[in-house]
Amino acid sequence: MSDIQLSVQGLWKTFHPGLFEADVEALKGLSFEVGRGEIFGFLGPNGAGKTTTIKAICEIIRPDAGTINVCGHPHTAPAAKRKLGFMSESPYVYRHLSGREYLRFCGELLGLPPAGMEARIAGVLDEVGMASRADRGLGTYSKGMQQRIGLAQALLGDPELLILDEPMSGLDPLGRRDVRDIILARAAAGATVFFSSHIIPDVEALCDRVAIVVDGRLRAIGTVDELLARDPVSFELTFTGAALDGLATPLEASHERSDATWVRVATPHRDALLAELGGRGARLLSLNPVRISLEDLLVEHSAEPTT
Amino acid sequence: MRAIRAIAANTFREAIRDRILYLFVGFALAMVVSTKLFGMLTVGDEAKIVKDIGLASIQFFSMLIAVMMSMLLVSREVDSRTVFIILAKPVRRWQFLVGKYLGLVAIVTANLVFITVVLAVMVLAYTGQWDPMLFFAAAMTLLEMLVLAAFAILFAVLTRPILGSLMTLAVFVVGHTSAELWLLTRQLPGSLTRGLVAVVYHLIPNLERFNFRTEVVHGLPVAPAAVGWAVIYAVAFAAVALVLADLRFRSRDLR
Repeated sequence: MSDIQLSVQGLWKTFHPGLFEADVEALKGLSFEVGRGEIFGFLGPNGAGKTTTIKAICEIIRPDAGTINVCGHPHTAPAAKRKLGFMSESPYVYRHLSGREYLRFCGELLGLPPAGMEARIAGVLDEVGMASRADRGLGTYSKGMQQRIGLAQALLGDPELLILDEPMSGLDPLGRRDVRDIILARAAAGATVFFSSHIIPDVEALCDRVAIVVDGRLRAIGTVDELLARDPVSFELTFTGAALDGLATPLEASHERSDATWVRVATPHRDALLAELGGRGARLLSLNPVRISLEDLLVEHSAEPTT
Repeated sequence: MRAIRAIAANTFREAIRDRILYLFVGFALAMVVSTKLFGMLTVGDEAKIVKDIGLASIQFFSMLIAVMMSMLLVSREVDSRTVFIILAKPVRRWQFLVGKYLGLVAIVTANLVFITVVLAVMVLAYTGQWDPMLFFAAAMTLLEMLVLAAFAILFAVLTRPILGSLMTLAVFVVGHTSAELWLLTRQLPGSLTRGLVAVVYHLIPNLERFNFRTEVVHGLPVAPAAVGWAVIYAVAFAAVALVLADLRFRSRDLR
């Protein structure tokens, strides 16, 4: 990767909740890099350390050890913060402000020039589909609307690196599609997008690369194709001319349709099943490999014991 | 500087859109207006009693506003996690604290000016004389509030809001009594009590330094040096409290 926009190296973080509570090791030497223009998905089960990592990148928490570089600067440098747009998991907004006032406040914090501020605000409001509701109080917004305003403030500074913590959560299908389109448009314009999500289809549809983090450690990283490029986990067959009754080969699933019989069999039992069906005079109509999905991979990694 | 100004303005805007502030201001106004009743019921110079109780009311309610709003606005920012968005932007943690502090000072100042104008108009109606020294006393109360708001912010980042409010109230009470205790214990021979009072006296600001009510009510001369020292004292204590708040806040993980 030639042009690194986000570099996380050897990140460790332990929380000390209180005198009588056990310490929580949230991050255990986490390292990864994200290149310019990439859409990078950050996957993991609850408590894996995704939000802790994002908070460390945004300087909301201090890591115990490790380094973070944002757009070539240490993550704590104002130059890094100016190039970063962050949207938190839940839409934390000021209830006393209207959407437009909130964005004006964020624009001031970013140090945007006053001259073009209103035009910039109108632009992002339009981008997230909130232009007509910008002058309503944030306290009256639905969760989905607050999510959109949260995204608008992240886009306001035209960031080189967008960090989005569960950007699709709380959105209806239309909202999810809008957010996906915004992410794709920003990446096409040269921005790097780093986002965590539980919604696997979104990750599969959007991401150039994916990292799976479990128990504070990186478990897998690569393109979706790389991660899923393995031997098939099972095969789906359709055939006619033979009944299922009395088959010795164990099946994962089966269904007898009026025109044919469909079965799924684990890869190690494929040849045994084919032989058994051949012996019964069955006519094979199709044989399709079933590859592991990203969701299966996440579940597999989550179930593996940590070392 | 722009970020500090934006945070201060947002803090001020949040406070003036909060009903709790109007509750305090309403009570303060009711207290100031009812001083005429105290004047009528008390033996002595009624105008002086109106001024004395009016200024005491202004001080008490300014303290309540400074303490409660400091706790409310700083803790709310952390508890509701709106601070996440601020800290992810090019804003240093000390800038956040200073912005909150200046916003609170603006709230207290606006409240002080408003209630002092009401008191001055009441005194004008009562005596036929405009007393500009009431504004001097209010300015000294503002100095006291600068110190208390800074301590409130320190306690807001150190602990939970209720405990923080109680600790700031304790600073107010001890700050108004520690000088007398110090004088009393200095008469005692060397003892543990004397040592303890000495520690308290030097750690907790002596808020009586900002009390010029007697001079204002009775028309006594005010020593310029005392005013100058009060200003320096307030700035120094507020600065120390804010630096301590920053030291704690900069190392704090926000969850």
